Amino acid sequence: MLDLILTPDFFFAILRITAPILFATLGAVVGEKAGVSNIGLEGIMMMSALFGSLTSYWTGSWFVGLLVALIVGVLEALLMGFFAFNLKTDIILTGIAVNMIGSGGTLFLVKVITNITEGKPLASTTSLITAVNQIPSWNIPLIKDIPVVGDVLSGHSILTYIAFLLVFLTWVLLYKTPLGLNIRSVGENPNAAASVGVSVLKVKYIAIGFSGLMAGFGGAFMSMYYAMGWSLDMVAGRGFIALAAQAMGGGEPLGSMLSALVFGFAQALSIKVSSKGIDSNLVTPIPYLVTILGLVVFALVLRSKVKRQHSAAALKEAEKK
Amino acid sequence: MAEEYVVQMKGITKVYPNGIAANQGVDLNIRRGEIHALMGENGAGKSTLMKMLFGLEQPTEGEIWVNGEKVNLSSPTVAISKGIGMVHQHFMLVPSLTVAENMVLGMVPKKSGLFIDKKKAVELTEEYSKRFNLHVDPTAKVMDIPVGMKQKVEILKALVRGAKILILDEPTAVLTTQETSELFRELVNLKKDGYTIIFISHKLNEIMEITDRMTILRGGRSMGVHNTSDVTPEVISRLMVGRDVVLKVEKDRAKPTDEVLRVRDLEYVNEWGKKMLDKVSFSVRKGEILGIAGVEGNGQKELVDMLFHLNTPNSGTVTVNGENIIGLSQRDIRKKGVSLVPEDRMLYGIAGAASIQENIISDRCGEKRLNKGLLFDMKAIHEETDRLIQDYTVLCKSRDQRVDNLSGGNIQKVVVAREFSNDPCLIIADQPTRGIDVGATEFIRKKLVELSRSGIAVLLVSADLNEVMELSDSLIVMYGGKIAAYFEETDDLTDSVMGEYMLGLNHQTPDEIRRVCHE
Amino acid sequence: MNKKRSIIFSLVRGTAAILIALAVAALLIFVSSDGAGAGEKLAQTADAMRQLLIGPAFKSSGGISVKNLSDVLAAMIPIVFTGLATCVMFSANQFNLGAEGGIMLGAFVASMVAIYAPLPPVVLPIAAILAGALAVGAMMLIPAVLKAKLGVSEMVNSLMLNYVVLYFIKYLLNSHLADKSKGQIMSYPFQAHAAIPQLIDNGSKLSWGFVVALIFVVLVYLFMYRTRWGYSIRMIGINQDFAMYSGMKVAAVVILSQVLGGLLAGMGGGIEVLGRYTTFNWNTLPGYGWTGITVAILAGNNPAFVPLAAFFMAYLNKGCNLMSTYCGVPSQLIDILQAVIFVFFAAEQFLSGYRQKLVVKSTQEELKRAAQEAQEKGEVK
Repeated sequence: MLDLILTPDFFFAILRITAPILFATLGAVVGEKAGVSNIGLEGIMMMSALFGSLTSYWTGSWFVGLLVALIVGVLEALLMGFFAFNLKTDIILTGIAVNMIGSGGTLFLVKVITNITEGKPLASTTSLITAVNQIPSWNIPLIKDIPVVGDVLSGHSILTYIAFLLVFLTWVLLYKTPLGLNIRSVGENPNAAASVGVSVLKVKYIAIGFSGLMAGFGGAFMSMYYAMGWSLDMVAGRGFIALAAQAMGGGEPLGSMLSALVFGFAQALSIKVSSKGIDSNLVTPIPYLVTILGLVVFALVLRSKVKRQHSAAALKEAEKK
Repeated sequence: MAEEYVVQMKGITKVYPNGIAANQGVDLNIRRGEIHALMGENGAGKSTLMKMLFGLEQPTEGEIWVNGEKVNLSSPTVAISKGIGMVHQHFMLVPSLTVAENMVLGMVPKKSGLFIDKKKAVELTEEYSKRFNLHVDPTAKVMDIPVGMKQKVEILKALVRGAKILILDEPTAVLTTQETSELFRELVNLKKDGYTIIFISHKLNEIMEITDRMTILRGGRSMGVHNTSDVTPEVISRLMVGRDVVLKVEKDRAKPTDEVLRVRDLEYVNEWGKKMLDKVSFSVRKGEILGIAGVEGNGQKELVDMLFHLNTPNSGTVTVNGENIIGLSQRDIRKKGVSLVPEDRMLYGIAGAASIQENIISDRCGEKRLNKGLLFDMKAIHEETDRLIQDYTVLCKSRDQRVDNLSGGNIQKVVVAREFSNDPCLIIADQPTRGIDVGATEFIRKKLVELSRSGIAVLLVSADLNEVMELSDSLIVMYGGKIAAYFEETDDLTDSVMGEYMLGLNHQTPDEIRRVCHE
Repeated sequence: MNKKRSIIFSLVRGTAAILIALAVAALLIFVSSDGAGAGEKLAQTADAMRQLLIGPAFKSSGGISVKNLSDVLAAMIPIVFTGLATCVMFSANQFNLGAEGGIMLGAFVASMVAIYAPLPPVVLPIAAILAGALAVGAMMLIPAVLKAKLGVSEMVNSLMLNYVVLYFIKYLLNSHLADKSKGQIMSYPFQAHAAIPQLIDNGSKLSWGFVVALIFVVLVYLFMYRTRWGYSIRMIGINQDFAMYSGMKVAAVVILSQVLGGLLAGMGGGIEVLGRYTTFNWNTLPGYGWTGITVAILAGNNPAFVPLAAFFMAYLNKGCNLMSTYCGVPSQLIDILQAVIFVFFAAEQFLSGYRQKLVVKSTQEELKRAAQEAQEKGEVK
């Protein structure tokens, strides 16, 4: 079994599988820092995936397709913000609505626009897509020739590199820029932010817009690289796994990235295992089970950390005497 | 003539979406360079009025003039631009950010256009701290600094944004006598430098000491403006309530009997390693009101939390009528006869969106007398609710009214109606009259005396010096997690003596303190 | 604001939400119709809207269509159960979204009992349905206990479980339990006496399960508003700290609310599958869970309004199906409609300006009345 895992292309697969989850996770991280719980990331990813792929098909340019995917993601998130912040619909319910539109709405649009899915229970636009519509990969010069490491790191979609770079950029945004200060203030004490003239509404819109942008990246990644074109259920809960990764990562960019990698690992493993002939229905749910386990483990670890702090502090006091 | 007034609020009316009219046709005129008091019971509309002056709320009707020009204070930013600053009662600070970061929030100095210039922020903080003689630590995280410093940061925040008109909302609520004197000195200095100060407070003695004029609000309306030198506390109270406020509580001497609550050697270290309770021991007996005085943050809150299992002590024992209550669920603690009037009534005391009836029966919903088999006995529940509403004079439209639609005083009456009425043997009252009107305050205090004289043990925790000194039969002062003093009688206690113990300048001997254990 | 005004406001708001959703639908239909010019498109849109709004109740000839209406009532059955389940869970502020997987698991377990259990008539369907309910109730222990004891998000957990349940059932169906003689993937047929008898014999599949659903509406309402457990659930949903401080056992109630939700969803699955089908052939999650959420929101988490909300959603769904059959509009429009309706309905600030006016009016009337009373009593304020 171990020889299955310790191969360069297994690690390559982990990075490749983690990337879309990572995008959504970073969106969740920034959102939560501003006190905005975006559970509609899943639905936004679905919409972006569809629009990105279709646009690239119509225009022949993957770049325009990617751009449209991002714009759709941001717009949908801003619309969510309107309902959650201005009309005061509970943001969780708004997220559920976005997911509904994401699954039903995409199918509706595909049926109407392309007419290729009439009568078929499962829908996909795969028949439309050729390589020219997909996001290109990048074989990094020099690095690609390094044995083992080169095979793992080089040759990914350019979005994969962007995803991991964004972890660092998100950290800089949150901790080194005035916007980041505002985001954290609004998330921790919106009254304090408002009292010094920070527009809580504007900051929340920016945060949710950012999460939509990230979901746009994630969706584009799915339909324009991970798979050929859009198909129903292709996002398969990644938007929800991202929420778990954010929670397990303590809401911080680095920690959440590590959590996302754990899920990427689980999924890569399950794919490897199923290639050995085990029924895919047994193997597909592995990442979801890992998510549940991951949340439990994280909660237990957090709990014991608090307990240890309590007893350590008590010990310190006792020693002082 | 108009320039004499730096702020004019004319005919201000404010109606909230839930129907409450917080202000009706209020006029407020503030002279340049004066210290002006805004007084009134809670619900009188003082906070709301000032929120509108700071742009946090908008008036439904009326005009606001600042420095002779009519303004639309649509947000705090606009108010700040007009030179108005506000120091809030509940600090508007972000805990995980440093003092300097909190200072520059919203006006952050930038490095290369994109990044925070942390050095500049710290320099700015130090400059203002020195100029106004308000000492703060720029690089400390706000969650780690003491309350007095937090308030200084709040004042500096207003000043650094160019405020010439300062609104202080109950600023001394969290300060000791000494810190209050310090604050008043700072305010007088600011006044000398030409700053205008609006001072919201309940505390009659402070108003008399430091202010030039006062405007009194009652029921959302203005009762007029007076020179402080022309009025006495009694006159002010009559204007606020329409009768003399009873400052002294009438009660007969307590005749305490058996011990009910026994706390011995209670110790607690909080999550930051700070010892909040240090071998605290005391007893409360049937028929007496034992008060716990002290500046907030000296362990009182932690103590109450221990007694009701909102937190767990590291060591020590707590028994009620000989039975341990540490580690028990709230349900079991209540079964032992303990009731708690919580400090935060909106958090623990009520379920805001639920009805008065649903709130009043929350501690007894499982009892046989209110249930018929699997279902509620609605008739019995209605009767009990109506009886309690009447006995506790809760002003409401019906028992099904949403409880958070009531005024603060009536909400608290619902809370005490519940907590006092289920046959307790020990009542813990934590800040029972904070932020409520005089009428409700009087009622609750009278009730506490009545219940204690009927044989119930009452533990009163109050940061209101007047209350804890007048209402308690005996009292202890907490400082630094320890009991600093025990006074068996409160008749001859003075404010300055209390202040000494509350600030740790004085500490009784262990023998004197041990008397509160009544062994 | 007094009660009468309050009800008027809710009605106005509900109607506005529905009108907006219908406008969105009309727009989408217009844009996606394949008519030559604007005129033709408009005609097609009008046609489709007619199918949507009137089709479920009336025949194209103008008379009332009993068949369509009974279809609607039959479609109500599963979403009444998921609606009730969601009401209970949301009332405790538990955002457990597992009714979707729950109803499928309940249907599956009930099917297995219906196929294999050697039980006599009447007992068999009841046992099957109970088994389905209990299985899902037990499954809900996972997110419930993890939330109560460890504070883990029940939302993420329940969503994950939906997927796990789906693949678990697909696996079992694929490998061991499928009737391989049939072309599609489905289980062996149920024993004949497992079927729930029909109310009307017209192919609508309106079974006695409908009556059971209504009975449970009453039971759940009584539970939520007339028992101490339902009361605890609601108080915990409003203010958990208050509930704990008042002596309620929060952890137990958090668990209870989700387990109860599971029982109801599972029961709905069993009733739906035994009342409508003869084998188990669900290959994907059926969507009843999400509709149940819409139903709960429209009902304001109050079981008493669940039948009305469920009827409304079933009616719209039938309308969308008719549109799909006769006008070629994809039936997924119902998902868009649902989302728009409930997102406006749950928007507290929607039409808030109008509400503020009503409130001010009420307050002014009260002040007037109080002043009048005071005058009559001879006092002058």
